[in-house]
Amino acid sequence: MARLQDSEFEKLALPLLDPLYNFARWLSGDADEARDLVQEAFVKALKGFGSFQEGTNFRAWIFRILRNTFLTSRTGLEHRTTEQEDETGFSQVASSADSPELDLIRRADIELVRRAIAQLSLAFREVLLLADIEEMKYQEVAEALNIPIGTVMSRLARARKQVREYIFETAGVKS
Amino acid sequence: MSCPWRDKVAQYVDNELDAAAQQQFSAHLGDCRECTAAVNEQMELKKALRLAGHNFSAPPELHASVYRMIHPPKAVSPWWKWVMAPVCVILVGVIGYLEFPRSHPDPMMARLVDQHVTNLASANPVDVISQDIHTVKPWFQGKLPFTFNLPELAGSDFKLDGAKVAYAEQRPGAELWYEAGLHKISVFIFQARGTEDKTVASHDLSFNVTRWRQGGLEYYLVTDASQDEAGKLVQLFKSANR
Repeated sequence: MARLQDSEFEKLALPLLDPLYNFARWLSGDADEARDLVQEAFVKALKGFGSFQEGTNFRAWIFRILRNTFLTSRTGLEHRTTEQEDETGFSQVASSADSPELDLIRRADIELVRRAIAQLSLAFREVLLLADIEEMKYQEVAEALNIPIGTVMSRLARARKQVREYIFETAGVKS
Repeated sequence: MSCPWRDKVAQYVDNELDAAAQQQFSAHLGDCRECTAAVNEQMELKKALRLAGHNFSAPPELHASVYRMIHPPKAVSPWWKWVMAPVCVILVGVIGYLEFPRSHPDPMMARLVDQHVTNLASANPVDVISQDIHTVKPWFQGKLPFTFNLPELAGSDFKLDGAKVAYAEQRPGAELWYEAGLHKISVFIFQARGTEDKTVASHDLSFNVTRWRQGGLEYYLVTDASQDEAGKLVQLFKSANR
């Protein structure tokens, strides 16, 4: 029985190792810390796999474990105490057809976009990472972060707006 | 922002509208430059984020440690331990038996064979030289804390040569020296320690050794004569001490 469970866990979890590590790196900003976080998350997930309900979203479940592991880590606690969440509502990204901004985004240097992600607050960064990099559905993001789906949508809109603004400002164009 | 559909752009780009709404929005895009521009920009942004965001891969050592975590070194299950324990005991026993075939079950037998060999090499193997059982038996009076009967040998192939006091395992005993043709026979008599009455015969270093217990005494017969010959003297002793 334990063997079966392990093989099932392996099938579900191993393909997520790289995405989980990527997420941990973006959250912590440190290679060693990311490695430790993922390891710890795997230990917890393996231990708790018996209580994992079949049919529920495994990816959301294990990302949630990783994210909670990060929040209780030293770096995570620092983020939580220093960052004030900006909970303004679902705001729109102003845009006009064939705008110079569109070209700018198309030509944006990959390092510039990375800096734009890195400068986001934790609350915005994690939503953006799960929705736009891991391509999770809003519901999945909500499960992984244990927040309402409306909050996912508003934070995602804010995160994208800030990324866009960062790119434009850095490139010398006002949005 | 004038278009009422404008606030659906993000959901459309993220494919979060239901199928009907998704279709309606697609149709709307054909007529609305504002929404089309917004969709294009958001899609470009998502693409740029996806490319930039996939920045880190788990290092090989993390892959290895996670794999080890899921596949820990196999420990022997308790079920196998229980099965293997008696198997190991039997194996050790068999190996022990094969490796030490000459290790004697009764260390007394080995000692008395040594004593018999020593006598064979001795010029004076006995302390009382006599063929007469009525001389030999009384000779032990006061020397041993027990007594025994010696068999009458008239009509047999055996001849009594004499006797002496023997010591083994810190206890005194009688040692009787017999002849059967050219063969020498030692019969040792001690007070019995065990309770086993079974007669045990052994063939140690070509010597026939027979051990039996009778009347609280322990008898050992050691000889290079045949087992049959030895058996006859054993029977004579057994008959004499009934």
